[in-house]
Amino acid sequence: MRKYAVIYRSILMENLQYAMNVIMGFITYFMIVFILMQLWNYMYSNPADLIAGYSRQQMIWYVMITETIWFGTRTATVTNQVTADIKGGNIAYLMNKPYHYTLYILTKYTGEWSIRLPIYAVFAAAVGVIMVGRLPDFHIITLLAAIPSVILGITIQGVFKLCISLISFWIEDSNPFQWIYDKLILVIGTIFPVEIFPETLQPLLKLTPIYTVCYGPAKLLVDFQMDKYLEILLAQVLYLGLGILLMFFLYGKGVKKLYVNGG
Amino acid sequence: MNVIEAEHLSKTFRVKQKEKGMRGSLKAIFHPQTEEINAVNNVSFSVQEGEMLAFIGPNGAGKSTTIKMLTGILYPDGGKVEVLGIDPTKQRRALSYQIGTVFGQKEQLWTHLTPYDNFRFFGAIYDIGANEIESRIGMLSDTFDLGSFLNTPVRNLSLGQRIRCEIVASLIHRPKVLFLDEPTIGLDPVVKENIRSLIKQMNRELHTTIFLTSHDIGDIEKLCKRIIIVNSGQIVLDDSMEHLKYHYLNKKILEVKLQEETALPQVNGITLLKQKGSHIKLEVDTTVIKINDALHNIDTEHVEDINISNVPLENIIMEIYSSEKV
Repeated sequence: MRKYAVIYRSILMENLQYAMNVIMGFITYFMIVFILMQLWNYMYSNPADLIAGYSRQQMIWYVMITETIWFGTRTATVTNQVTADIKGGNIAYLMNKPYHYTLYILTKYTGEWSIRLPIYAVFAAAVGVIMVGRLPDFHIITLLAAIPSVILGITIQGVFKLCISLISFWIEDSNPFQWIYDKLILVIGTIFPVEIFPETLQPLLKLTPIYTVCYGPAKLLVDFQMDKYLEILLAQVLYLGLGILLMFFLYGKGVKKLYVNGG
Repeated sequence: MNVIEAEHLSKTFRVKQKEKGMRGSLKAIFHPQTEEINAVNNVSFSVQEGEMLAFIGPNGAGKSTTIKMLTGILYPDGGKVEVLGIDPTKQRRALSYQIGTVFGQKEQLWTHLTPYDNFRFFGAIYDIGANEIESRIGMLSDTFDLGSFLNTPVRNLSLGQRIRCEIVASLIHRPKVLFLDEPTIGLDPVVKENIRSLIKQMNRELHTTIFLTSHDIGDIEKLCKRIIIVNSGQIVLDDSMEHLKYHYLNKKILEVKLQEETALPQVNGITLLKQKGSHIKLEVDTTVIKINDALHNIDTEHVEDINISNVPLENIIMEIYSSEKV
């Protein structure tokens, strides 16, 4: 584990030099959040209304939290970099080191989001408090309890995106699959909570990574319930285990098919 | 003791083929065609501990593919390979602790970190203790003279400084075998010479086995005692450098400056390479005519200057590349 801690530390040192770049990303974040805020304000014609069990403030905070997770974890490390490593042959120079390539990539991903996400979280909290007001019934203990779920959700996201990138061992371009996955996560779970969708569809959605990546952590932050907490954590642990097995399987099979141009 | 053993090593790649134009592109969707390329074909060789071996060949000859199979990056389609008694395909990670690699055209250093932070990083991933890493950084930094830029981010280093750091990063875990793939590419002659003497020193002091591929004849000539030449995936020559020179240096280059322009007689074994006024460049095949007899065919009374040299190693290797299996 020590070597992965060192990789993590090195990524932090490298990314700290670019912390200012993160701040530039706030402009896009703010624009999207502002549009979604206006949309939900319009939908809640009466501020006392509940839509799918969410108050107006809860709904806007939900969207802000999922968008924060989305923006704070947005990195090319588990997507374009892996695809480029496989297609361009650079993977050859990373494979012959005494670490597992997939864990090396996941550690880099973790190092990147652990700089970006806290910065986005502070910014989002400030915007939220100023523009929406405090989240009702929010306690600091809720935040502390939800942190493991947020970390698990982000890790699941990284593992599944990495799995999609590993398909590049077999196909020319895995980006269309990344695009489909991103849009599913964005529409079902990020912009709208699962409860918005028809009841018949909800059990199916709970079986997808969407439930564990965005919906779960955000739901716990806006409306913490112990039974929901345990359910989400269990689903996340199962999903993470499944995702890691799939990741090792794809890598193990794919690496034997590796074709590296000379040079 | 042999540290590398390759027996009947083979690797075939399937490469996509497409007919030209839009029609070809559409056809490739429904009837994809591939061509098999034998990148490495039945290659066998062994390398002894402490040896400095040049493994060379023209582009596409199969040398990089062979290195990648030796380091466990590519899986051979046929044959057997062992490096330090380890099968690279089955125990790649165990092998990575014993070998080092420098690919001159690929960076392994983290460019935004300093060489010092990079070396600490590489030391840690090879499970070396913090104190031991410090001591090795100190020693290698002295040997490779890195002191003045040890704390400068890698992205700000010159190419020569970066290559020195790349080599140090590959040595931090004291590998028994070092694979160098074009380590001096793009460097100026002074830095090249510096890198070569450091590699020599490392081989002498640490007894590290060096497996070198390079297109730079200087690297091969100055570093290696043995040479393997590959072409079209097969070994065409495996010989000592001394033997190679002895057998292939039967031709001499004779450069003569005469007082005035003179026509030379046609003599068997002497080939006129170039003539510009009174300057003549000849190639003498000493298996046909002795150099002394060749000189008698020149009007020696009117010679202003004369120079006899061996055929450059580069030309010998070019000749071997273009010939069939020796």
